[in-house]
Parts: sequence; C-alpha cells; structure tokens
Amino acid sequence: MVEFRHKTPLIDQLETGPWTSFVSDIKREHESRMENPKGIDYQFNQDCCDDLLGVLELSYDHGRTHWKHGGIVGVFGYGGGVIGRYCDQPEMFPGVAHFHTMRVNQPMGHFYSTKYLEQLMDLWERRGSGLTNMHGATGDIIFLGTSTPQLEEVFYELTHNINQDLGGSGSNLRTPSDCMGQSMCEFACFDTQEICYQLTMEYQDELHRPAFPYKFKFKFDGCPNCCVASIARSDISFIGTWRDDIRIDQEAVKAYVGGELKSNAGAHASRDWGPFDIQKEVIGLCPTQCMSWDGSKLEINTPECTRCMHCINVMPRALRIGLDTGCSLLLGAKSPILDGAQMATLVVPFIKVEPPYDEIKETVIEPIWDWWMEEGKNRERLGELIKRQGMQKVLEVTGFKAIPQMIQEPRSNPYVFWKEDEVPGGFKRDINEFRKYHQR
Amino acid sequence: MAFISSGYNPDKPMEDRITDIGPRYYEEFYPPVIKKNKGKWLYHEILEPGIVVHVAESGDELYAIRCGGCRLMSVSHIREIMEIADKYSDGYVRWTTRNNIEFMTDSKDKCMALKADVLARKQPGGCYKFPIGGTGASITNIVHTQGWIHCHTPATDASGTVKVTMDTLFDQWENMKLPAKLRVSMACCLNMCGAVHCSDIAILGYHRKPPLVDHEYIDKMCEIPLAIAACPTAAIKPSKIDWNGKKLNTVSVNEERCMFCGNCYTMCPSMPLADTEGDGIVLMAGGKISNRIDAPKFSKVVVAFIPNEMPRWPTMTATIKKMVDTYSANANKYERLGQWAERIGWEKFFEKCELEFTHHLIDDFRDPAYYTWRQTTNFKFT
Amino acid sequence: MDEEAAKKLIVETLEKKKGKSKFYLKDFYKMLPDEKPRTVKNLVNKMVGEETLEYWSSGSTTLIGLKGVGKQAGSEDED
Ligand code: HEM
Ligand code: HEM
Ligand code: HEM
Ligand code: HEM
Ligand code: SF4
Ligand code: SF4
Ligand code: SF4
Ligand code: SF4
Repeated sequence: MVEFRHKTPLIDQLETGPWTSFVSDIKREHESRMENPKGIDYQFNQDCCDDLLGVLELSYDHGRTHWKHGGIVGVFGYGGGVIGRYCDQPEMFPGVAHFHTMRVNQPMGHFYSTKYLEQLMDLWERRGSGLTNMHGATGDIIFLGTSTPQLEEVFYELTHNINQDLGGSGSNLRTPSDCMGQSMCEFACFDTQEICYQLTMEYQDELHRPAFPYKFKFKFDGCPNCCVASIARSDISFIGTWRDDIRIDQEAVKAYVGGELKSNAGAHASRDWGPFDIQKEVIGLCPTQCMSWDGSKLEINTPECTRCMHCINVMPRALRIGLDTGCSLLLGAKSPILDGAQMATLVVPFIKVEPPYDEIKETVIEPIWDWWMEEGKNRERLGELIKRQGMQKVLEVTGFKAIPQMIQEPRSNPYVFWKEDEVPGGFKRDINEFRKYHQR
Repeated sequence: MAFISSGYNPDKPMEDRITDIGPRYYEEFYPPVIKKNKGKWLYHEILEPGIVVHVAESGDELYAIRCGGCRLMSVSHIREIMEIADKYSDGYVRWTTRNNIEFMTDSKDKCMALKADVLARKQPGGCYKFPIGGTGASITNIVHTQGWIHCHTPATDASGTVKVTMDTLFDQWENMKLPAKLRVSMACCLNMCGAVHCSDIAILGYHRKPPLVDHEYIDKMCEIPLAIAACPTAAIKPSKIDWNGKKLNTVSVNEERCMFCGNCYTMCPSMPLADTEGDGIVLMAGGKISNRIDAPKFSKVVVAFIPNEMPRWPTMTATIKKMVDTYSANANKYERLGQWAERIGWEKFFEKCELEFTHHLIDDFRDPAYYTWRQTTNFKFT
Repeated sequence: MDEEAAKKLIVETLEKKKGKSKFYLKDFYKMLPDEKPRTVKNLVNKMVGEETLEYWSSGSTTLIGLKGVGKQAGSEDED
C-alpha cells in the first residue's frame, strides 16, 4: 500500500460520479511513482503528486489559490515556452515548492504515434511531475511541474533525442493550431495541417523570442464551422471557403427526403424529431433563402449563398463543398481583456492556400506585423490597434481595396475625415480670393 | 535522487545547442488510412453517440471513437491510452481540441471491441476512465484552464468545476437528444485562457475584491513601477506609508477602478487577490463559434455571481442543468442556445430558466455597453 | 549606428534606470529611434543570447532587462 501524507476528504468527493476523475488519476500517478516498478531514478520530487493533492485540498478548504507566478525561469535564449510557478506554502508542500510548466509544440491536428508518446512520457516521468495537460488552451502539450535545473535538461533531451521543440508564450507568436481538416473531415477547404506546420517553421524566431507588443495567434479552420474557434481567438484567422457551386447529388437528396439517410449525419439520433422535412429543416433555415426544392430537384442559387454550412451539415452525403477552394482571412480576434471581446473582422474574402504561401505571407502577415510592431502600444492586441487606428489604416498598410464584404453595413454618420489629397484643390485656400465674392 | 545530466553543460549553454526546430512533422503520426485518403473523404456518419465512421472516395472506412479525457492527464493514464492504441488502432491516437481522445480503427468490429474494452475500465471510485460520447447534438467535453491546480490568479478551481458539471450533464454527453450542439467552457479568471467567451454556456471564475497590499514587504519583493504598469485600468499609484516610524515606499489601489484581473499579483507577490468570500463563479450563455445559419456570437452574463461551494458546487450545477433542460425542451431542431434566446427574447429566457435578473447584468463596461440596451418599444411582458 | 555602439547605448540606458529593471520591447525601440523595430528586436534577442540581457515573462507578456538585475530573482528563490 502506498501512503498518502495528506488527508484529502474534500477532493476525495470528486472521485465519484460517471465522468473521469482527475483526482483518481493524480493518486494513480503518486502510487506509480512511489512503487516505481521500473526503478526510475527520478530527477524531480518523487512525492510531488501527493503534495499537489495536498495543495489542492487546502484550496478546497478555504477557497483560495496557493500558487505564485515567477517569470525568471526559462530555457536559455528563449522568451517563451516556460511558465514559472512557486507554491506559497513550500514548507507544507516541499514536493511542489517549485513547479514550473513547459509548453511543448504539439504535432498538428494532435495526431500521435504511441512510439512518440512513449518518448515524451519517459522523459516527463523522469524529469518532471508525471502530470500533463493534453492539451493547453492554445494547443500545446503542457508538461505540468518541474524544477528550475530540470528545464534545460528537458529541453536538451527534447531537442537532441526527440527532435522536438518548445511552443510559445509571452509577447511573441504563439504556437499556431489547426482543426483536423482534410485528414479526417470532408468539409475542409484547404490543408490546415500543412499550412499550420509550414508557418510554424517559417516563423520559429518570432515564436521563440519576443518580437511584438503582445501575443499573436494564427489559427486554421478548414471551413466555416470553425472547430478551433479561430474567429474568436486569433489575430489572423484562416477559415476555409469556396467560390463555385455546392456539389449536389440529387439521388442522395431524395434518399434524405425518403428517410433512407439520417439527417445531420445522425447527430440527432437519440431523440424522435419526427420524419425529416427538407422544406422546414433545410430550405426554410437557409439564411439567404437561396435554395429551392420542387419535390424532385434541389437547386441552390450560388451567387446568393453565403456558405454558412447549414445545408451541408444537414445532408453531408448529398451536398459537398465546391471545388474552387481557398480561405477567408479575418483579423483581430481577442478574448475580453481589456476592452471587451472582439471577433475577427473579414479583410480578405478569398485567397488561395497553396504552398509556399507566399501571397499570404507577403501581402498579409508581414505588412500587418510591420504596422503592429511600429504602431502597437505595449500589450495592445492587433484587434485593439485596428479599433484605435481604424479599418482604413488596415487597407493603407496592406494595400487592399475597400469592398462591401468587409462590413456589416455602411456607416450611419457622415463624418468622414477627408484627407487633403482626396479633395480637389487641397485644403490651402486664399482668403483674399474668397473675400472678393463674400463681404466680411 | 542523484542528478543525471542529459548532456547539457550549464557553463556553456550554447554548446551543441539545438534550437528553432519546431514540432515533429505531423505526417509521421497519421494512421496509414489517413495518409492514403487525406482530402478525399466523401462523408461521415455518427453510428451511435461517440462513434463516427468516415468514408473515403476509395471506399476505405475509418471508425473513430471519442472518449472523454481530463485535460489534466498523468503519464500512467497516457500509457494506458497507448496500450489501447497499440491493441486496437495500430499504435495511432489523436486528441480533439476539446480534450477528448480519439481512437481510429479500420473496421467496425475492432471499434466495437475497443468500446467494450474501454467502458469496462473504471477508476477506484467507479468513474469511467474513458467515457464515450460527445458527438452530434450533445454536450462534449468542457475546455478549461488550470485553476487551483497550477495558476496564481484563479477565482475558482477548473478541473473540479468541470468534473461536477460533466457528472451533472453526463446524460447529454452519452446521448444526442439536444436540439443542436451545446458547448460548455470553463475559465478560472477573467483572462480566460480558455477563450470561453463564445460558448453556449461558460463557467467563469471571478474575483470581487481588489488586491491586498503587503506594505511592509512590497518594496523589498517587487519593483513598484512594474506593478503600476501592469494594471490595465491604471488603478495603482505609488505612495508612502509610515511603518513603525519608518517611511516605506508602497502603492495605493483605487478600489473603484479595479477590475479584479490579478495582473498586479503576476508582477508582484505582495499584492495577492484571492479571497474566500470575494471569489466565485459567473455563468454566461448564448455564445457560439460556428458560422452556421448566423454569425458567431459572444456569450452573455446570465448569473453575475455564485459562491464557491467546494467540493461539488451544487448551486452552479443546478443552475446549469436548469438552463440546459429548459433549452432542450423549448428550442427548435438545429437551434443553438443563443439563437433560441434571441428568438424568444432574453426577457423570456430569464423567465423560462427561472433566473433572477439583477442590475449587474446590464452592461456598464465602456462603449459597447450602449449597444446592449434596448432602443425600441418592442419587448415582451414577463 | 553600428552594432557595438547600439549595444553600449542599451546597457548604459538600462543602468541609469532606477527602481525598475524590466522593460517592454517597445522601450528599446525608443532608445534607438533611427532603427527599424525589427532591427532592434533582433539586436535585443542577440544580447540575450550573449547573456547581457535576460527575459522575464508574465505568461502573457515578455519583459527584458539586464541579466541578474532586479528584485524578482530574490522573491522567486532562484538566486
Ligand atoms: C490577457 C490575457 C491572459 C493572461 C494574462 C494569461 C495568463 C496566463 C497565465 C498566468 C497562465 C499560467 C497558468 C499556469 O500554468 O499556471 C496561462 C496559461 C495559459 N494560457 Fe493564458 N492568459 C491570458 C489569455 C489567454 C488566452 C486568451 C489564451 C488562449 C486562447 C491563453 C492560453 C493559455 C494557455 C494555453 C496556457 C497554458 C496552460 C493552460 O492551458 O491553462 N491565455 N495564461
Ligand atoms: C468530419 C468531421 C467533422 C464534421 C463533419 C464536423 C461538423 C461540424 C458541424 C456540423 C458543426 C456544426 C456547428 C453547429 O451546429 O453550429 C461543427 C461545429 C464545430 N466543430 Fe466540427 N465537425 C467535424 C470535426 C470536427 C473536429 C475535428 C473538430 C475539432 C477539432 C470540430 C470542432 C468543431 C467546433 C469547435 C465546432 C463549433 C461550432 C460552434 O461553436 O458553433 N469538428 N462541426
Ligand atoms: C450633428 C448632427 C445634426 C445637426 C448639426 C443638426 C442640426 C439641426 C439644426 C440646425 C436644425 C434646425 C434647422 C432649422 O430650424 O432651420 C435641425 C432640425 C432638425 N433636426 Fe437636426 N441636426 C443633426 C442631426 C439630426 C438627426 C440625427 C436627426 C434625426 C434623427 C435630426 C432631426 C431633426 C429634426 C426632426 C429637425 C426639425 C426640428 C423642428 O422641426 O423644429 N437632426 N437640426
Ligand atoms: C479553447 C477553446 C476551444 C477549443 C480548444 C476547442 C476545441 C474543440 C475541439 C477539439 C473540438 C472537437 C472535437 C470534440 O468535440 O472533442 C471542438 C468541438 C466543438 N467545439 Fe470547440 N473549442 C474551443 C472553444 C469552443 C467554443 C468557445 C465553442 C463555443 C460555442 C466551441 C464549440 C464547439 C462545438 C460546437 C464543437 C463540436 C464538435 C462536434 O462534436 O462535432 N468550441 N472544439
Ligand atoms: S472546421 Fe470545418 S473542416 Fe475543420 S474539422 Fe471543423 S468541420 Fe471540418
Ligand atoms: S450553405 Fe448556407 S447559405 Fe448556402 S445554401 Fe446552404 S444553407 Fe443556404
Ligand atoms: S484563466 Fe486566469 S486563472 Fe485560469 S489559468 Fe488562465 S490566467 Fe490562470
Ligand atoms: S487586480 Fe487588476 S485592475 Fe485591480 S489593481 Fe490589480 S492590476 Fe489593477
């Protein structure tokens, strides 16, 4: 029997109920470390999991955290990838007195082979707490808890033996992330994994060393369903779309109408919603009313379609995305701090996504970065800079032409700040000339 | 415990240093069927909750089974995942962006065998190690942050609130009987590492008291100008204090300006923020990310404060359950929670979900507040 | 400005600051107003590699200062 030094009556109550229990899991890791059947020479406190449970119990007892931030730790020459953590009760919980996080750049799409996982686990079991987050909110593999001297050792082993780098934190490019896209999803309009990987590699310097006024995120969604939430949380959001017709298989449409195929790929199967009604569930819910069904043929008026995905989601075997695919680029999403949340704003309605992505890099990413590095205030996200200096400025720095796709509606005030060169004759006028025709 | 060097030499950090190599190339980790059929998938179908078959143009099939995971995962647990992947899915596995584990098999038989196997694996207290579900019109795993496990600014725990919420909503995880997907997210302070601000239901930790100032130590432990610069609302000013006859440098906090963000505590351990009565939970609702039918939406605050009730937060889970059940009973097929609330009107949402409306729920934060007030005579009586 | 002179200017400017040891990248742009932000960024990062400067991270933002200077090292028990 493995001993637990700390009594944890409160968090023990999180070991019941159907959902998988993180408390049971941390206890399991403690047992594994104490029993140590493989005879591992632990380089970080063997009893850290027990102490972590103890800290957590204390927080559950009085409702306050027991962690302090530390920013001084890191691996040499990198500005990000490590988050410093110290316990504020180090005497009670020496096993987690120093308990720093390392962010490891995840493989795109979060695909793993067990061989690779084995390497990561062997390393983290020896040199860290044996606890991870799979995955952090930005997508990285999170190694949760080790000491300062182990940071360089972990980094050395990662880079030398596993051919693997850290991810980003701080005022730099954050680890880009993607939806699983074409690897498994038929809705994907471009190869999210490839562009995510290529841009991650291209901008390694920006990822590891501070380059900007604040954090900067790229995220890649293969279609407007937006499974990685790029539109809500990335400074440049890539969302797949297409320009031609939705491909229709009329026989399959009939099969949905006849009930042979399950609507929405079976997503509603646990409840009886009655027979499928194409008129009500597809035609009627199409936001642009661009579809029609005469009982035998489905038609879509492509120029009116906004590619919202609804009809494709409902009848995936009958409807497929078009063939002329690419992505839309939206700029400036951020979470609420500080000036309120912002969704990303559409700037490029359509651009082809083809290696080596020169057009995207040269006409969008780099001009935007130059502008933001020059004009952005400390800790000002791109979206806030766009709000402060205006969409007009975005057009100015990128050279894109204003088009109505960029807006919800035109302005409802006429207070245009005309520039001098936009008005014939300019602003300098001669008062004496004016006075010839107008008395004082 | 004897220190074992990896080969790194602290006196010469640049020696043999490898940097800027990025992640491993993802293609190494694709199962063969994905490598072969990438970009050529024809359709997918949810066979039962948690199990999706993807069919390619070539006729190849891929059965993906979705298991819930705690985001916080031990090496031992991951080794068990590896053992399952080696046994049934040729040594490949993936995680979804909502912290679920997806095993991919090439036949239905293997998939069903895998299902029976993983459902039989339980933790000592009876919890599933690998609950199956989360597809289609269901509630999938809750994306969340660190909480009391690891962060210095949380106002509540993350893993614990997620565990009790998933226990409460488990029926909706295992079944697909909601009108549409319903996504729950959790962040333990207003920094919202988890980007919860666009979820159907968001659980958010929130502080309600400004930081304490440890006058005696602040000038020894912290650089006062850095704490001042960290404050997003310019609430912190330098000041002096008499301390046992000595004049000490310290700061004063303009309490009316403080938005309880904890940035000062990040820079300065002499300005702690956590407080038993002050800290608790905000519930938000009605956001979405997808562009389906209409534009993405932010979540709105529907409950301004619920106290922390460790260890199982009964008021919070009951309030969430009531919202989910009311939505489920009233919304149209395909309608997301926020679309339903907008159709019936937010005044009706509060009535139907039996939520109290208070002055805290009327926006007063900066310019956008105005656009959330009602500028029409069209409203419903409740 | 040549690189050595720029480095010297950065170190001297930092040594003069009292009560504050960590700075945003933008503060370095101001020390070298004639250089492009990208050039300054590269120089600052190079000086970290040479162990003249060091980073300090709040998790969301990175600050930069002279190596070993400031009170953080003490309060983080890392000295
Ligand atoms: C201004 C806002 C933010 C601040 C001040 C902030 C600060 C922090 C801090 C202090 C941690 C450390 C937690 C720990 O491991 O102990 C953290 C973790 C993290 N944050 Fe943030 N954060 C902010 C916003 C965000 C946003 C919007 C995202 C993602 C969309 C994000 C992604 C992450 C990730 C991935 C981690 C690593 C661990 C985790 O997943 O919880 N952060 N953040
Ligand atoms: C064959 C693969 C997939 C299909 C067919 C699919 C389909 C869908 C559909 C139909 C929606 C509907 C949105 C709505 O009801 O409003 C959706 C939304 C979403 N999907 Fe997927 N999905 C697939 C894979 C994924 C994957 C792999 C992820 C994540 C890695 C993912 C993440 C999401 C997310 C985050 C949303 C969010 C929508 C929202 O918040 O409104 N999906 N997906
Ligand atoms: C900055 C913007 C505006 C300015 C400078 C302005 C100025 C004026 C002036 C000087 C008059 C008096 C005209 C006269 O009696 O000869 C007037 C009358 C009026 N304005 Fe405006 N106005 C503005 C915006 C608006 C707007 C936005 C509305 C309505 C939505 C509006 C509605 C009216 C109406 C209804 C009258 C007639 C009042 C009456 O019959 O006595 N004004 N405005
Ligand atoms: C940190 C933020 C988020 C991440 C990392 C994330 C990630 C993911 C991932 C990986 C999935 C896919 C598969 C699964 O269900 O296991 C997913 C699905 C989904 N997420 Fe998110 N998401 C985030 C935020 C949101 C938000 C804010 C919403 C808001 C409504 C949302 C809505 C959805 C929906 C609707 C699905 C549906 C997937 C399905 O079951 O087909 N996600 N998300
Ligand atoms: S965003 Fe679109 S392409 Fe990507 S996984 Fe989701 S549904 Fe598929
Ligand atoms: S994608 Fe949306 S807008 Fe286009 S036809 Fe389908 S439902 Fe209508
Ligand atoms: S949301 Fe706040 S408290 Fe939670 S991990 Fe992020 S910074 Fe820490
Ligand atoms: S908690 Fe945030 S707003 Fe309040 S004083 Fe500290 S930094 Fe300023």
